[in-house]
Amino acid sequence: MLELRNLTVHYGQKRVVDDVDLALAPGRTLGLAGESGSGKSTVAMSVLRLLPRTARVDGQVLLDGEDVRTMSWGRLRAVRWASASVVFQGAMHALNPVRRVGEQIAEPMRLHGTPGSVAELLEQVELPRHKARAYPHELSGGQKQRVMIAMALACGPRLVIADEPTTALDVVVQAQVLALMTRLVAERDLALLMISHDLSVLAQTCEDLAVMQHGRLVERGRTREVVANPRHPHTAALTAAFPVIGDRRHRWAEPRPAPEPLLRVRDLVVDYGRTRAVDGVDLTVGHGEVVALVGQSGSGKTTLARTIMGLRRPSSGRVIFDGAEVPRGGRALKAFRRQVQLVLQDPSSALNPRHTVFEAVAEGLRVHGLREDEEALVTAAVERAELRPASLYLRSLPHELSGGQQQRVVIAGALVLRPRLLVADEPVASLDASVRGEVVALLLRLRRELGLASLLITHDLGLAWQIADRVAVMHQGNIVEQGPAEEVLLTPAHDYTRALLAAVPVLGPPATG
Amino acid sequence: MSSKFLTHRTGVAGAAVLAVAAVVAVVAPLLIDPGSLDVTRVTAAAWQAPDARHWLGTDHTGRSVALLLAQGAGTSLFVGLTAAVLAVGIGTAVGVVSGHFGGLPAGVLLRVTDFFLVLPALVLAIALSTVLPRGLGTIILAIGLTSWPSTARMVRAQTLTIEARPFVERARALGGGHAHVIARHVLPSVVPLVLVNATLAVASAIVAESTLAFLGLGDPARISWGAMLHQAQLHGAVPQGAWWFLLPPGLAIVAVVLAFTLVGRALEAVVTPKR
Repeated sequence: MLELRNLTVHYGQKRVVDDVDLALAPGRTLGLAGESGSGKSTVAMSVLRLLPRTARVDGQVLLDGEDVRTMSWGRLRAVRWASASVVFQGAMHALNPVRRVGEQIAEPMRLHGTPGSVAELLEQVELPRHKARAYPHELSGGQKQRVMIAMALACGPRLVIADEPTTALDVVVQAQVLALMTRLVAERDLALLMISHDLSVLAQTCEDLAVMQHGRLVERGRTREVVANPRHPHTAALTAAFPVIGDRRHRWAEPRPAPEPLLRVRDLVVDYGRTRAVDGVDLTVGHGEVVALVGQSGSGKTTLARTIMGLRRPSSGRVIFDGAEVPRGGRALKAFRRQVQLVLQDPSSALNPRHTVFEAVAEGLRVHGLREDEEALVTAAVERAELRPASLYLRSLPHELSGGQQQRVVIAGALVLRPRLLVADEPVASLDASVRGEVVALLLRLRRELGLASLLITHDLGLAWQIADRVAVMHQGNIVEQGPAEEVLLTPAHDYTRALLAAVPVLGPPATG
Repeated sequence: MSSKFLTHRTGVAGAAVLAVAAVVAVVAPLLIDPGSLDVTRVTAAAWQAPDARHWLGTDHTGRSVALLLAQGAGTSLFVGLTAAVLAVGIGTAVGVVSGHFGGLPAGVLLRVTDFFLVLPALVLAIALSTVLPRGLGTIILAIGLTSWPSTARMVRAQTLTIEARPFVERARALGGGHAHVIARHVLPSVVPLVLVNATLAVASAIVAESTLAFLGLGDPARISWGAMLHQAQLHGAVPQGAWWFLLPPGLAIVAVVLAFTLVGRALEAVVTPKR
């Protein structure tokens, strides 16, 4: 069906894909794993010749025995979507915001003159027919991804390429989308090439697995065997990076006695206009304690965090920090913000692209008028965040650093004010597997060495298992369950917690029973 | 950034024209003998065609058009630059404030912006320069007050984009107030855009100045390119067939305005990040 022979891709002088051989038979599923920059997306896009003009492609890309590289423009257009289609990464950006999704699904059918009905396609992806009239912004992330899948199936292709189809979706929706794709592949006898940085996602959906690193294929084989006995160290690192809930080796937080409360939230209510985002929440974070606040997107966990930081005003209820209510404004609020710091999800956007590392880290000091020893304090904070030696990084601009390094800069910027509580919103969600572990370890080390308490906002239950002392589960603005991490994650009491846990993808063969 | 600018050949050409105009504007008043521009002291005959002594001929009073042209460069450039700075300054302030604070102040500012935006700028400028005492200051004020709304709109849009970025939220969480966010995050990212806008605004301000002067609303005591056109029209350069009094100031305006526009476009291409 699809065969890549000695595929090599250059961007200018840079070789991004190096001599890759892959084959995919009809009706088979192949997972392509790798970190950002490993060249996995480039491989996928080369199949339909969707690479930018600056790319130089060598080798052969055979689709049904025909080389895509030498196809005429007309032939290529006919092949695109009719023989092979793509589910693009980031459904929110891949749909046209000003057109109804039904029209967008129908577009490839019209172009190729394929008979078929949008309603039927929507049914196949388990969306009600009337959603065809919806605009993308009226749909949730999972629904948009289903629309993308319906679009990919529109012309009845025999090969579907899915590029990170579930990134940015939370666990529950991710599980639903994966189940849908597995079902469609089986029913329609499709060949599927799925690309992801998340081995556990691929392990659930694909029969075969290929792992890429630095543009090379380092390992391939049956998924089950590759995951169970990785032969290449990079594969081993990838499999080890994803924590298994319940596995003691992956639990890095050491047990400790219940500390005195540092932050107490009492009966907090936050409204957005008429929508109630947070509905009467009680939450406590002790001195030096790591509390994970888990829940799906839209559960109100981010709003709760913003309110704790004093970035939003609560409609009612109280936030008490160190025995005193959090001030609502003025000098007192500014002083409070020295004590509580925020670490955002996406470090590349949390840093001003025009500021050097030094300026970004010193920003907090300057805001609070702490001019003395600026250089020494910044250096110390940067080294605390494990960017050593600091002098190597201080003059760099954010775009010169990797994602992990950027996140360390954000953490250093928080540390420089010597806070007592860190509010981290998905601190590792946008990081590669190998970097993720290091940043998680850093957060734990800060707790141990500085007694820094953290409120960790995440939909990643594995992360909660790794480092949280206590876990609070949030659902539709309420905290439905909270308690010690072992208790909540191993013997969940609430149905919703059980549903969340059941949706977490696991490495290895799909668990039975 | 400067090396990138050099790759835009039209921009470099524009910059060269501007450099020449600036040198002329600065040097001319120092070199030209005031007597040669004084109507009572000139010796040449009126309406002389260009010859070796008067490169561009003479006007209705016998003054050399070439000298008038050099002398007028300063006024035109000065009015153009100061009016543009005034317009861009007002526009930036209104744009940043309405973008940053939102709510009621933004609503009020935006309605005011809309008011000035729909008002025909030339009519307003004419009205202003009729009411206010005649002089350079009035012209600058009239142009500045009528050409800021587009800058304000653009700066507001850019401010809103920057304010939505997570690094602004991070700055707030660090304890940064309005002054901090505006000075450290909003302004630095607005400035490149404002610079581009200012260059383009100078071009239109020069045209506006020429228009007002041509209509006889300029400072009668000063020589500017627009005022020369006004004189030419008033004293019948066309029936005289004195093309040398009409064309040079007109072409000078076209050249300088084109140069500013070319530089502005080139700057725009340099500061706008490619996607």
